[in-house]
This record gives sequence, structure tokens and C-alpha cells, in this order.
Amino acid sequence: MKRTVSRNKLKGLVRRHKPQLGMAANMDLLVHLNFLLFLHRLAEETRTKAIADKSKTIKYEHVLTSAKVILRN
Amino acid sequence: KCQLGLSSSWVKKMFSHYARMPVAKDAFQAVERCVSMYFKRLCDDLEAYTDHARRKTVLLADMELLMRRQGLVTDKIPLNVLIEHHLPLEYRKLLIPVATSGNKVVPHNIR
Repeated sequence: MKRTVSRNKLKGLVRRHKPQLGMAANMDLLVHLNFLLFLHRLAEETRTKAIADKSKTIKYEHVLTSAKVILRN
Repeated sequence: KCQLGLSSSWVKKMFSHYARMPVAKDAFQAVERCVSMYFKRLCDDLEAYTDHARRKTVLLADMELLMRRQGLVTDKIPLNVLIEHHLPLEYRKLLIPVATSGNKVVPHNIR
């Protein structure tokens, strides 16, 4: 599984939201780590929602309901 | 997607890898919306932390504090363990200081 990203894209993403905010060296990698962990949490929560629903595939509403849980913290 | 800023195929791949389940096509649209909301939130938080410390630069301490608040970094799970588990070797080399011969620590400027 490829876990590398385009670091320039990641920096640009933060810069677009907050142009005045500077980033110390390699901090974009920690943003990347945080993003991976967020996706991991979201996927796990969605999976449990789908299983609780007795659904074989993950559907739109499973993602929505789990996003409400995950994005809260 | 240009509005996401990241390659959406990569996000799709990572999400379905973590979900370990078939994912419907329209579900990815919800994932992408979540991702953009997440990034907005992340940048707001980082700005709040640096403003509070009267800095203009995001440091490692800010990221660690953020992840502690998110419940990712705890007393039992330090940040370095998360880095080791989730990031590839070339990124880990840049983030975790390691002592080398000649009593040198690389990278020296972290923290």
C-alpha cells in the first residue's frame, strides 16, 4: 500500500486555508499522519455502521452517520 | 477533484483499504465531503494553537497537542509509535531522531 503523498499538494492545501500560517520543517508529514489516522477512524466507524445495518457494501448514509461521530472530536 | 486538493483516487484507495469492504460509488462523494470538512477544521485548530502561543509557525508541539486532543496520542500511545505504524520509512527517517556513529543525531532540528 502506497502511503506517500505529494508533499507540495499537502502544503498547498494548508496554505490555501490559512495563507498567513507558516509550517516548520516536515510538519506537513504530521498533517499527513493525522489525515491517515482520520481516514482510518472514519473507515472503521463506517464499517461497523455497515455491519450493524447487515449491509454487504458501505453506502452513502453509513459514511454520513459515522462522519457525524468522527468529525465531532 | 481540484476542490479537494488531494488526488481523489488516492483517498478512495486508502479509504477502501482501511474499510476492508466494498464501498458504493456515491459513498466516496460523502468521504470527499468529510475530507474537505476535516481539513478546514484542522487548519482552524492549528491557527488557534499557534495564535495562542503567539507564534506564526506550526511546530511539532502544536501537532502533538492537536493529536492529543483528538485522542490519537495518549499516555500509552506516544506520537513516535503512531509515526512508526502509519508512515513509510522515508517519512519516518525525517521525523524520528536516531543516533548515528560519531555521536550525531539525525535529524537534529526536530523539536
